Amino acid sequence: MLRNHSRETAVALLFVLPFVLIYGVLFLWPTVQMVLLSFTDAPLIGPGKWIGIENYVEMFDDRRFWTSVRNTAYFVALTVIPNTLIGLAIAMMVSRLKGWQQSIILAMFFLPYILPVSVVYRIWNWMFNLQFGIMQYPLTWIFGEATPVFRTQWMFMPAVAFVTIWWTCGFNILLFLSGLRSISTDIYEAAALDNASRWTIFRRITWPLIWPVTALVLTIQLILQLKIFDQVYLFVQGGRPDPSMVLVQYIYNQAFQKNEGGYAAAVSVALFVIVIVFSVLQFQFLRARGEK
Amino acid sequence: MKTFFKIAMLSTALLSIGAAQAAEDVVWWDFLSGGDGVRMKALIEQFNTEHAGEITIQPTTLEWGTPFYTKVQTSAAIGEGPDVMTYHLSRVPLGVASGALAPISAEDLSSVGLSGDVFAPANWEAGQSEGAQYAVPFDIHSIILYYNKDKLAEAGLLDANGLPTGLDGAENFTAALEKLKAGSEYPLSLQTSGDGTPWRVFYSLFGQQDGTFLAEDGTFFPDESIPKAVKAVETMASWVEGGYAPALTEYEGSVALFTSGESALHLNGVWEVPTMADLAAKGELGFEWGAVAVPTFFDHPATWADSHGFAIPNNVGKEMTPEKKAAVLEVISWMNKNSLAWANAGHIPAYTPTRESEEFKTMQPNATYSVLADTAVFDPKSVLAGVASPVYDAVANYISPAMNGELGAQEAIDEMKADLQDQAD
Repeated sequence: MLRNHSRETAVALLFVLPFVLIYGVLFLWPTVQMVLLSFTDAPLIGPGKWIGIENYVEMFDDRRFWTSVRNTAYFVALTVIPNTLIGLAIAMMVSRLKGWQQSIILAMFFLPYILPVSVVYRIWNWMFNLQFGIMQYPLTWIFGEATPVFRTQWMFMPAVAFVTIWWTCGFNILLFLSGLRSISTDIYEAAALDNASRWTIFRRITWPLIWPVTALVLTIQLILQLKIFDQVYLFVQGGRPDPSMVLVQYIYNQAFQKNEGGYAAAVSVALFVIVIVFSVLQFQFLRARGEK
Repeated sequence: MKTFFKIAMLSTALLSIGAAQAAEDVVWWDFLSGGDGVRMKALIEQFNTEHAGEITIQPTTLEWGTPFYTKVQTSAAIGEGPDVMTYHLSRVPLGVASGALAPISAEDLSSVGLSGDVFAPANWEAGQSEGAQYAVPFDIHSIILYYNKDKLAEAGLLDANGLPTGLDGAENFTAALEKLKAGSEYPLSLQTSGDGTPWRVFYSLFGQQDGTFLAEDGTFFPDESIPKAVKAVETMASWVEGGYAPALTEYEGSVALFTSGESALHLNGVWEVPTMADLAAKGELGFEWGAVAVPTFFDHPATWADSHGFAIPNNVGKEMTPEKKAAVLEVISWMNKNSLAWANAGHIPAYTPTRESEEFKTMQPNATYSVLADTAVFDPKSVLAGVASPVYDAVANYISPAMNGELGAQEAIDEMKADLQDQAD
């Protein structure tokens, strides 16, 4: 049968058109607008005067911007790899269970993930409460006195990272579990026949075969954690916002509190670039490692 | 299907008849919760009853602070804001700068009997920006010193009239705290974390020394005011350092320390008066309480104050009809003329005839502390100042840590000055 190529292309275009339209209107157009906005002195609402790269010049000189960059990087370091490793470890344990036992344990690990962030904040704020929090027992044992975790500068980020891992690792466990299930049991049987130790089996079979999932989890985590906002914003309430300021919080702060739409857009562009550069770099790096 | 359409048409018809007969609806937004909220709801109900068939207020209460002001700004920009709203006068400069507020003309105001003559001058001016009126004051609210009569009596700090004595002057105040320490773990409870009370207390102590927060030329803490600010912070920090006030305590905790009878003194806003009054009425307080104006620690009396007022949002593309405007003005004026009920929430009425009425003069504890209206220092006029503003954030970042000894007082003020200056330029 003869194919009519142009007709096929037209049909194909027709099918992708709804997506392209939605993508263009809801993503591309606002992104272009955001970049344009970053070259103006616009307030939160309404247009502004074109001021060239002034916002960017100001940004490079802005102490609070760099604090936000540092804090965001610190938070990423505290969460991305630990969250991935903990997810993998738990998934490997859960995968040894069978049937209903596995379902129940999996559900227990997944439960926190379905909670809204406000609930997570409430739970952990109580757990760490200075007077009544249950976490004060181990903390008192370690530090010798009750410790206001979210008011102690050096503890703030690690504590928020800890809560974040508790909250989100259920999803990673799920991804890893499906990855582990896709590894054929034949390979494990063959290894067992060759008398391979558990560690060797993990290093030579599980780890390489699960690598594509690991790369995916790491990338999702990286993008997600670079955009950290809710937890930090909530836990800092009533404390010192500046020393633990993260990038998205700074954008919010500039746009909604200080009415500096143009400047907030410039910081957004910076974050956008950071996310793209890091996720592309990381994905390429991970893929290269996987192909080796 | 036919029946469905019939019902639909019928109900539409009924609705439109209803609309034709309906009174002028005034969409109202506020941020008043707790004791404030209860009292405002009662006032609105009374208004609606008195104006049945003419004006109906449709109230919505939103989250206090940044969420409220952001929503006002974004909704006004697309013409979806309310017809009238409550507004902090300290927030007027930013409201005007961001185009969220519509000016209210003198003619409109005088049509319902409102003008600068019926308000305290400083209060009335706080609602202005570049000569135009953007908000009409409704109350003056400030911080006061709550006290536990039983504990003060024990420590011999009550005078013949049963009022606290010997608290004026920073050193005398500390001496009094020392006397009270025998009876309470923390003789003075106040919020010592984040913004809010730390700002209000700081600004009062600073005002008592005639400090300038923001000079005409845009300088924060001009040189001669720095030592005064440092002194204010040092005084506040000495309460925590001396073990008189609890460290790192949040707002709710500070209130609980007082209501549970553990603290003899409590520095907080007048808006907590209903909390005490209600607890006392239910017999759950367990002690006799009272409230007086903040003591004079330094040169002369001065207390931080802000005002709740009414403002009309600048709804873009939605011109207000003359009828609607008349209804809104009636709401604003009626609320002020009936503000005695609002004083129940602890506030001092802004409307001078109410404030000077016999009923208010005998209302306790308001009458005891209403003197502060004359010595009130309102928030600095700047787009960086006001409720939930960068100035509030700076307090959380510098002054509160200094109160808790995490920063030196001098260092805190230097950094706060640099930070605010940086944000202003």
